[in-house]
Amino acid sequence: MSDQTHVHTGHDLAPGEEEQHSVGERILGYVVGLALALLLTATSFFIAGTDLVWQPSIPVALIVLAIAQMGVHLVFFLHITTGPDNTNNVLALAFGLLVVFLVVGGTVWIMSHLNQNMPPMDQIMPMRR
Amino acid sequence: MLGKLDWSAIPFDQPIPLVAGAVVLVAILGVLIWVVVKGHLPYLWHEWITSVDHKRIGVMYILLASVMLLRGGSDAIMMRIQQAVAYQSQGYLPPEHYNQIFSAHGTIMIFFVAMPFVIGLMNLVVPLQLGVRDVAFPTLNSVGFWLTATGALLVNLSLVIGEFARTGWLAFPPLSGLSYSPGVGVDYYAWSLQISGVGTLVAGINLVTTVLKLRTKGMNYLRMPMFCWTTLASNLLIVAAFPILTATLAMLLLDRYLGFHFFTNEAGGNVMMFMNLIWAWGHPEVYILVLPAFGIFSEVVSTFSGKALFGYRSMVLATMAICVISFMVWLHHFFTMGAGPDVNAIFGIASMIIAIPTGVKIYNWLFTMYGGRIRFATPMLWSVGFMVTFIIGGLTGVLVAVPPADFMLHNSMFLVAHFHNVIIGGVLFGAFAGFEYWFPKAFGFRLDERWGKAAFWFTFLGFYVTFMPLYIAGMLGMTRRLQHYDVAAWRPWMIVAVFGMAVLSIGVICQIVQLVVSIRNREALRDRTGDPWDGRSLEWATSSPPPVFNFAFHPDVRGEDAYWDMKIRAQQQSLEHEEPEYHDIEMPKNSPTGFVCAFFATIMGFALIWHIWWMVILGGIGAFATFVVFAWRDHDEYVIPAAEVAAIDRVNLEERRSLVSMAGAI
Repeated sequence: MSDQTHVHTGHDLAPGEEEQHSVGERILGYVVGLALALLLTATSFFIAGTDLVWQPSIPVALIVLAIAQMGVHLVFFLHITTGPDNTNNVLALAFGLLVVFLVVGGTVWIMSHLNQNMPPMDQIMPMRR
Repeated sequence: MLGKLDWSAIPFDQPIPLVAGAVVLVAILGVLIWVVVKGHLPYLWHEWITSVDHKRIGVMYILLASVMLLRGGSDAIMMRIQQAVAYQSQGYLPPEHYNQIFSAHGTIMIFFVAMPFVIGLMNLVVPLQLGVRDVAFPTLNSVGFWLTATGALLVNLSLVIGEFARTGWLAFPPLSGLSYSPGVGVDYYAWSLQISGVGTLVAGINLVTTVLKLRTKGMNYLRMPMFCWTTLASNLLIVAAFPILTATLAMLLLDRYLGFHFFTNEAGGNVMMFMNLIWAWGHPEVYILVLPAFGIFSEVVSTFSGKALFGYRSMVLATMAICVISFMVWLHHFFTMGAGPDVNAIFGIASMIIAIPTGVKIYNWLFTMYGGRIRFATPMLWSVGFMVTFIIGGLTGVLVAVPPADFMLHNSMFLVAHFHNVIIGGVLFGAFAGFEYWFPKAFGFRLDERWGKAAFWFTFLGFYVTFMPLYIAGMLGMTRRLQHYDVAAWRPWMIVAVFGMAVLSIGVICQIVQLVVSIRNREALRDRTGDPWDGRSLEWATSSPPPVFNFAFHPDVRGEDAYWDMKIRAQQQSLEHEEPEYHDIEMPKNSPTGFVCAFFATIMGFALIWHIWWMVILGGIGAFATFVVFAWRDHDEYVIPAAEVAAIDRVNLEERRSLVSMAGAI
């Protein structure tokens, strides 16, 4: 991206390769991440079993919590940031998400349409009547 | 003790595979004995087998691909002869043998010819084009190559021990399930692809990292040669798509080994899920193969037209567009399998859209040639032949992307003709162009032009005579994979095709003769400057063959066509003749990790195929132990002293100076 791409020490760092932070700061980061991850996990288990909230909202709540969990992992453990040192990692993540979205979404869509030209017998029989 | 393996596994009643196997065995033994007696074994071990040099690994990949091309080609010849004679008769190949042959032909040509050929060329050239000394993970690179070789070995082992799959090259269930394929054929197929798939994934990760992280000074993304861009796109696709193949085959293996029901007809399995997943890998795979070929043609066309590539940025954009859209079209491989018009229409349109960036590329190559001083050397012939052939293949591709047309042509010989049209005309011509173009770089002498041109013309014409009749046979309703048939109208076209196959084979023989003749005349064909074609990118800026460290200094890149730029500057400024200051260079040490890993993987794969469980554990422990030993190594680099670097570099510098001053005089 920039003109100063060097052979060994580029701007771009591999995940977890920060140099500037001290050990104390890094441990603090991991502890905060762990606490958040545990909190989100505990909340998920609590919500799954509770009847305090409107029942149909539970699956949605679990999906939101799961996505938040992924975010916590990416930020605190995989060290994905928005800084200029992280362009490649963010792009790789975006490409991965795009491919997963295309393949999983496409698969669900395709598989739910596969019987369109050949409905099962029990659907053909009512049609005949 | 030996699982399912006993003497009945050897096909004593079938002369063809047995004789072929015996001949190959004798040849291999002969070569081994010759190597040992002549004392070449230490050289081979230290310089090649354990080498982590990307150039050597690239050459070994290409060697593997060439040998397997002969194997896959013999399968093709047998099939064409069978279809020429099997009119109202059984032909000479019994059905179960014929089915194994077409399955093996597809599997070998895609996984063990096309893949290693393009990965080999990328390995050989990309670090040189980027102006760096090595790939990102040299030892991993060697592991990847040897695991690919393991897969190839297992597939060929099935010729004499047991059988190969009779399911076609993608082993669709329920045919590939345990109830319809109880033998070891599908297991051979699946385990060899699992093992070589790991090798391919490793190669993909390595090359993506190399392009993203290792570039010389000033080599920013928009100054990279086109081949580096297509390498990046192709390897991104490998990293994204190959895990799908691995997961799909793993599910098939669970069905076969542990009684799971992913792809069975009963107990909630769905065979269509296999179809869906395998093509979600399979379509990107097509572009994994053809994108590097597009890169090769870009380099070749620009070099031999003496012009910078026309529309470089549009070419980059087209490459990356193909990289993404290739993940949106996979359903066009199974239009006929039940999906309704919404799904079919969307995927049909996406399949037509992907032809647009490809069309952009064709125009860019044409405009690169327009107004250029074109030299029709062998690599350029392959490139022009590609453009003509690939356009025809692309047009028939757009035709079958139309769902109603596909309903007529699905699984017909028309389809067979179409994908051979794009894979031979695209990937194979590209591989041959790259082979002719970069051979002088790898070995320090050119290939013989006369034999090269003969090889091109025989292959080119032979291709048309073989595959155009298949289009017609498909139009006449002939389906693919027929062991015999009773329709008189198809017969003449099958006979024409077998003649085409003969012409095509002469082309292959010419290529072998070319290699032999060139090696014998290597002194006359020697290239001392390192720049035999008047090249434009950095691989030509070092000697041929390049020293192990590639470049004594990291080149300083100031624009596109880095080396062309340097040559122009050198002519204008009259080269300064003072001696540069050389430094020590650290290079990775050779390592037997890859070979030993692959040795244990072979044992494990073979044992898994035959259910020899103690041997599976042995192989698994061995492979893991190799990894542990490598992970705990102390020293993995050695130093080449500055004096040695200087001695190697001075010779080449002298040759180059005389070349530049001569060019200046003209």
